[in-house]
Amino acid sequence: MQELDEVRFLVGGAQGTGLETAAQVLTTAYAVQGYRVCSFREYYSNIKGRHSYIGVRVNSEAQPAAPRASYHIIAAIDAESVFMHLDDAGKDTLFLYNADLESRRLGELPAIEEETKKYVGETLAGTGYGESLGEAICYIKEVKGARLVPLSFNKVLSEFAESRGIKVFAARRYANTILIAAIALMTGLGLDKLQRGFERRFANRPRVLEDNMALAAIVAKELEQYKNMVPIRRPKRKPRRLIVLSGNDAVAMGKVVAGMRFQSYYPITPAQDESFMLESIENLETSQGQLGGVVVLQTEDEIAAITAAIGAALAGARAATATSGPGFDLMVEALGWAGINEVPVVITLYQRGGPSTGLPTRGQQADLLDALFASHGEFPRIVIASGDHEEAFRDAVLAFNLAERYQTPVIHVLDKFIANSIVTMEPPTPESFEIDRGALVENPDKDYKRFSLEHPISPRVFLGTPGTIVWYTGDEHNEIGHISEDKVNRRLMYEKRMKKLEIAAREIPEEERAILYGDGGDFLLIGWGSVKGAAIEALKVLRDQQGLNGAYLHIRMMEPFPARYVSKVIEEYGVNRVIDVENNYTGQLARVVAMNTGHIVWKRVLKWTGRPIYVDELVHAVPRVLGGEKEVEVLEYGI
Amino acid sequence: MASRPEVFDSGEWIDWCPGCGNFGIVTALRKALAELGLEPHQVVIVSGIGCSGKTPHFIDAYGVHTLHGRAIPFATGIKLANPDLTVIVSGGDGDLLGIGAGHFVALGRRNLDITVMIHDNQVYGLTKGQASPTLPYGVKTKALPKPNLQDPVNPLMLALASGYTFVARAFSMDVEHLKKIIMEAVKHPGAAVIDILQPCVTYNDVYTTQWYREHIYYLDKEPGWDPVVRKDDERAEKLSKAMIKAMEWGERVPVGILYKDETKTTLEERIEKRIPSYRKAPPARQRIEVQGRPIINKRYFEEIFKRYLVEVED
Ligand SMILES: Cc1ncc(C[n+]2csc(CCOP(=O)(O)OP(=O)(O)O)c2C)c(N)n1
Ligand code: SF4
Ligand SMILES: [Mg+2]
Repeated sequence: MQELDEVRFLVGGAQGTGLETAAQVLTTAYAVQGYRVCSFREYYSNIKGRHSYIGVRVNSEAQPAAPRASYHIIAAIDAESVFMHLDDAGKDTLFLYNADLESRRLGELPAIEEETKKYVGETLAGTGYGESLGEAICYIKEVKGARLVPLSFNKVLSEFAESRGIKVFAARRYANTILIAAIALMTGLGLDKLQRGFERRFANRPRVLEDNMALAAIVAKELEQYKNMVPIRRPKRKPRRLIVLSGNDAVAMGKVVAGMRFQSYYPITPAQDESFMLESIENLETSQGQLGGVVVLQTEDEIAAITAAIGAALAGARAATATSGPGFDLMVEALGWAGINEVPVVITLYQRGGPSTGLPTRGQQADLLDALFASHGEFPRIVIASGDHEEAFRDAVLAFNLAERYQTPVIHVLDKFIANSIVTMEPPTPESFEIDRGALVENPDKDYKRFSLEHPISPRVFLGTPGTIVWYTGDEHNEIGHISEDKVNRRLMYEKRMKKLEIAAREIPEEERAILYGDGGDFLLIGWGSVKGAAIEALKVLRDQQGLNGAYLHIRMMEPFPARYVSKVIEEYGVNRVIDVENNYTGQLARVVAMNTGHIVWKRVLKWTGRPIYVDELVHAVPRVLGGEKEVEVLEYGI
Repeated sequence: MASRPEVFDSGEWIDWCPGCGNFGIVTALRKALAELGLEPHQVVIVSGIGCSGKTPHFIDAYGVHTLHGRAIPFATGIKLANPDLTVIVSGGDGDLLGIGAGHFVALGRRNLDITVMIHDNQVYGLTKGQASPTLPYGVKTKALPKPNLQDPVNPLMLALASGYTFVARAFSMDVEHLKKIIMEAVKHPGAAVIDILQPCVTYNDVYTTQWYREHIYYLDKEPGWDPVVRKDDERAEKLSKAMIKAMEWGERVPVGILYKDETKTTLEERIEKRIPSYRKAPPARQRIEVQGRPIINKRYFEEIFKRYLVEVED
C-alpha cells in the first residue's frame, strides 16, 4: 500500500457514546508519534442520543486547519451514522459499520430529523435503493464506490465481555473503542502506540485502560485483513513536544500568559469550556511555588459577568469575560460604560449560529457587525478576530495589551469552529510575548486627574491608590470623573476618547492587522476568522490542480481597520478578481471593507448552514465565481 | 475616634431636591466612614442609576456610578479583585430590587464582604415618580395616574432568603442611628444589606417623614431582641424571628438589626481555600510580568498546562 501524507477519517455516533473520547485518544496517540492532527466536531444541542460526528485529519508534514470533504475511513457506531454520512463516502473510503444493524430502517430512527430523513431517503430512492441499512450499505458500495468493512459489534463485544468477565450490556459502553481500534489498525498505528492515547485518557484508571486495550486487541484480530490499508507516512520532522488543545484552551492559555487574573462568565456554548479550563488551573502552582491565581466567577447572568469584569479591571486586575452571541447581546449596555470610562476589559466572543438561540452548537461568522457596532452612542473599541488556534493564543495576549495601552474595551472574536476543534500546536514561548500595561500611576500627586484633557491617553490609577480620588460614571464626566453636561467639556472629552482609536490606528502596523498569504496574481480571496484554514489550503489545491494562482487576504483586526493596506491589495487585483469568503449570509466582512475602503466586493462565496467551510467546496466555487458563472456561490457541504 | 464627616465630603454640590431623605444617608455615610477610621482611598462607593445613583459623587472616596441595576456586580468584581477595599453599594429600590433583583439575590448567595444600602423611597425618583418594587398594592403616590397595580417585594425577606448574613433597616432622617447601622454593616464580614427608609419629598406623599416618625420603633430597645446567630443550630430560629419582624409594616415598622450570622464563611475565605495566595496577592495586586515579559515563562507554562502536553516519541 502506498503511504499517504495525510489520512482523514470520520467517526459518527450518538451524543454521549464516547466519540469525544475516541477523538481524544486517537489525537493523542498520533501526536505522540509526531503527527499534526486537527479534529473538528459537529453535534446537536443535546446531551445524549442525537447524532454527532468528528472529522479528523492526521498529517505527516504540516498542521491541517480546515475540514476536507473526502475521508479514507468512515466509522459508524450506529445506524444513524450510516444514513447521515452516505454522501461523505467516496471511492477511497473504507466504510466501517455494525453488521448487526443491517435490517434497521431509516424511517424508524427517531434521532434523525424528518427534514434530514426526507433527502436521505430521496438520495437512496433516486438511485434505486430502499431505506434499510442493508440497502444504504449497498448504495455506499455501488454508487459511492467505497469499500465496506462490516463488523459484528455483538460478536466482538461478547468475546470481549467473556474475556474480561463482564456482562455484555456493560461491554456495550466500549463500542467507541471498536472504532478507535479499527482506525488505528487501518492507518498502521500499532497497538503499543495506540496505548499511549488510552494511557492519557485513563491515566488513573488502570482497569479501564486494560479493558480498552483488550478490546482493541480483539478488534485488531477480527479486522486483520484491513491492517495498514491506509498507512500514513512517518512524520518528516518531529517536534520534541506538542500541545493538544481546543480553541477554548488556546484562549485560556493565552489569558493566563497575558496575566489575566479575573474571569467572570455565565455558561453558554461554545464559550463555557474556556472558563472551566481556567477554573481547573486557577491555582497557579509550579515547582517554584505558587505564582498567584486566577479568580473565575460564575455569575448570575452575562450582565453581571461583564460588569464584574469591568469592576475588577478598575481595581487593577487584567480581567475578561467569555461568551457567545446571546450573552454578548446582554453585555452591550455595559460595553458602552467601559467605553466612556476608558476601562481595559476584554470580551471573548465565540460566534455560534444565530439569531436568537439559532443553532446553539453550530458555527457561523455572523456577529462581526454586532461586535463592531453593539451599544448606543459612540466610543472607541478594538475588535480582533482570530483565524486559528495559534492566532487565538496570541490574540488573547494581544487583547490585554491593546486594552490597557488604549484604555478601551477589546472584543476578541472567534467562532465555534475554532472553539471546538482540537489541534496539535508546538508549545509557545511566553518569553517572546510582551506585557504592555499602558500608562499607569502608582504615586499620583495632588494634581492628578484620571481623565486629564492634556493627552488622549491619560495615566490610570487603580481603585484604592493612596494620594488621589477618582470617580467613574456612565454620565459624561469631567477630568476627575464627576458628571458634567457642559458643552465644551463634552466636546473635548468626546474627542479625547475617540482620538485613542486614531492613535491605535497609527501605532499598530496595518500589515499585522491584515495578512496576505500567497502571491498568485490570478485572484484574491478575502476573509476572516476560521475561513483562514480553508482559504489557504484552497490556494494550494487550486494551484496544484488547476494552475490557478491566487492569494488570501486575512483580516485580523476589524477596528481599527487596516483600510489603506486592504485598499492597496484590492486595487492591485482589481475588485473583479476579489472574492469574499464568509460563513454568513450577508457578507459582513465585505460590508466592513466597503465601509472602510469604498471598494465593494460583489463576488462572494458564502455559507450559512451552521457547518464549517470545507476546502473542497471552496476549491469548486472559486473558478465559478471568478469566471462570472455566478456572482455569489452558496456552499452547503457537510451534514 | 472623633467624627470628622467633612473628611469624606467631596465638595460637589448636592443636586437633590431640598428636604430629600437622601441627604440623611450621605451625612450618615460620611460620619460612619470617618468614625470607622477609614481613609478615603480605602473606600469604594458603587451606585446604580437614579437619584440615589449620584451618592458616590458626594462622598470623598473612590466612586463608581454604574448602570441602572448593576451596582452589585460591578462591586463584586472590585471586591474580588482587591478584597482589601471597603466596598459599599448605594442603590435605589428600583435599581436593586427591580431591574437588578437577580444581582441582589446573587450577592446574598455569595456572602461577599460588601455592604448594600437600599435607598427605599417606594418610587422611581429620577424618572419622575413611577411606582418602585417596594410600593404596596393599591397605593397612589403623587405622580401615579392610577393606584399601584402590583404587590411589593419585601427587601428584608428577600435578603434573608438570599443568604445575606447581615440584614438591617434604618430611617434616613435618624442620622445617628443610621450611622451606627452602617458602621455595624461595614464591620460585618460578609454580605450586608440595610433597607433605608428614605422619604422622597417630591413624589412620595404617602410614606413621608411624618408618617415614618409615627410608625417606626427601634428593635434594640425591644427587651430580649438578639438577632445574632453564633452557632449553626441557631440559624433556623433566628431567621424565623427576623422574618416575623420583616413582615411588620403599617401600624408598627421596626428599624434596627434584624439578623446577623457570624458563622457562615465569606466568598473570600472560600476562594482562599482554593487559591492560598489569594489574600496576599489578589487579582489586582498580582505580579504578572517581569521586565515587560509574562511571569508565566515557558517552564511555568509547561508545568501549569502539563495535561495538554504530549512528549513526542522518537
Ligand atoms: C436600562 C435603563 N432603563 C431605564 C433607565 C431610566 N431610569 C433612570 S433612573 C430610573 C429609576 C430609578 O429609580 P430608583 O432605582 O428607585 O432610584 P431613585 O431615583 O428612586 O433613587 C430609571 C428607570 C435607565 N437609566 N437605564
Ligand atoms: S425626586 Fe425624590 S428621591 Fe429624587 S432627589 Fe427629589 S426628593 Fe430625593
Ligand atoms: Mg427609588
